[in-house]
Amino acid sequence: MIQSLLIANRGEIAVRIIRTCREMGIRTVVAYSQADRDSLPVRLADGHVCVGPAPARDSYLNVRNLVTAGVLSGCDALHPGVGFLAENASFARAVREAGLIFVGPDPEVIELLGDKIRAKRSAQDVGIPVIPGSAGAVSGTEEALSAGKEIGYPMIVKAAAGGGGKGMRIVRSGNELADILAVASHEAEKAFSDGTVYLERYLENPRHVEIQIVADRSGNVVHLGERDCTVQQNHQKLVEESPSPAVSADLRERMGNDAVRLLGGMGYTGAGTVEFLVKDGEYFFMEVNARVQVEHPVSEMVTGVDIIRQQMLAASDEALEIRQQDVRLGAYAVECRINARSAGRITQFMSPGGFGVRMDTFLYPGYQVPPWYDHLVAKLIVTGRTRPEGLRRMERALSELVIEGIATNIESQKKIISHPVFRKGEYGTGFLGEILKEGGL
Amino acid sequence: MDMKELYALMERFEKSGLSELMFKRDGEEVALKKVLSAPQAPPAMPVAYAAHETRAPSVEQHVKQASDTEVIRSPLVGTFYRAAAPDAPPFVEKGDTVEKGKPLCILEAMKLMNEFQAEFDLEIVAILAENGKMVEFGGPLFEVRRV
Repeated sequence: MIQSLLIANRGEIAVRIIRTCREMGIRTVVAYSQADRDSLPVRLADGHVCVGPAPARDSYLNVRNLVTAGVLSGCDALHPGVGFLAENASFARAVREAGLIFVGPDPEVIELLGDKIRAKRSAQDVGIPVIPGSAGAVSGTEEALSAGKEIGYPMIVKAAAGGGGKGMRIVRSGNELADILAVASHEAEKAFSDGTVYLERYLENPRHVEIQIVADRSGNVVHLGERDCTVQQNHQKLVEESPSPAVSADLRERMGNDAVRLLGGMGYTGAGTVEFLVKDGEYFFMEVNARVQVEHPVSEMVTGVDIIRQQMLAASDEALEIRQQDVRLGAYAVECRINARSAGRITQFMSPGGFGVRMDTFLYPGYQVPPWYDHLVAKLIVTGRTRPEGLRRMERALSELVIEGIATNIESQKKIISHPVFRKGEYGTGFLGEILKEGGL
Repeated sequence: MDMKELYALMERFEKSGLSELMFKRDGEEVALKKVLSAPQAPPAMPVAYAAHETRAPSVEQHVKQASDTEVIRSPLVGTFYRAAAPDAPPFVEKGDTVEKGKPLCILEAMKLMNEFQAEFDLEIVAILAENGKMVEFGGPLFEVRRV
């Protein structure tokens, strides 16, 4: 079993990892930047090592300092958290070469899944439905035009190395293809130092549904049901729930089995997510997130399974504590991401509580939210026996939440949760844009 | 150098891409240095309130220091070695005067031995890190006096 863990991350995910480790008797050391000296993870962890100045590229992305900090502080494993270096195969390799366990899948698996074209091909190879698209990278306009004839419009141009919406463009007809292709490729080149792009059918207003997986080295691969992350703004998720109002029992079983077969087939270990787009009762493979995700607590609250704990067990070459037949998907859970819209000092902070309420945050009164990093400051998660009950509880919990000193999106989360379209459960990824047009947020 | 010249020099330095500047003329000497953590990229979020520095006492590095001395800090996370080899004499001892460019210590990171040199002529007032132990980024190595 892992004895001592370096956490190469910050914020709420660092706090989340520390909490489970403490319950498991694992010592934690948190790597932090000079801007995070007063942060909650630094206060909660058993040890801490400053790894660089405020800018992430010199601290949380500084491979040499992170790996050295892990080795010299006597850790036998490193958890990358989410974001930063979590899906960086060469970082995972450097960690392994330094003699530490990387809490995540093997570098070879991260590499395969990080290449969206190869990942899609792997899905296709095991019979998982994929969005119709170019078999691989498209280079010239000619090639793109002939691909367009087969795929059909509208299409979406995507960066092979991509994520976060960069290098993504929608093409509605062949006339605009050449121009859009050039722009998307240029944007991808700038963002990822790789201008490779590919084409896919663009599904208008689909649902974003993902399957949570945990897997150990003995080949026990378990899915914990789906999360619906359709409420997005500029490809950033804002509200996540499980079960999805758009997924039937039959669809869930097929998607779950497909996700298990895909990751099981490649020797995946730890926590991972297979993302799908769902449209009119059909589903299409999109990509795999080879790490734990921000919204993992939703599945934890539905199933009662501590995903970080399973990650730590799998990384220690031990068996998961669950098998597929033990997983119960009865309850409902929903998460609202609370984002900062400005940095500053927290003057007032009151966390909601009561039955069925969970708050994952690194805020405390007097804490100075630094301007350098991701804007996520808290995740409010509630459970209920049914969706209406859970959403009423979320309304109640949001009304209790007080964060003063910084601007946040709490008010807009209240509007989303109480919006009649959201309540009805019939909407797509364009939903938030429609509310924005109403002038709501 | 008169004040006008000095201000002009400071202004040019501020605008330049340089992080440090040493200017010597007729026995006069001016050293300018930019703060290491100065933002290169725009911050991800606008700042609503001015920062007041308060730090958790558990983390603060308390280093007692005389007013005419300064603390040299580690530029990386690594193991601090006072000598080039276990059986070699230490590079510096307390009270030594060290010329600019001469080695002060070794910082080992990922099996690479990084020789860490004096940036200016100095006198070692105190050795603040322990031989063979980890130093973190920004951790104190030496208290020195410029000579």
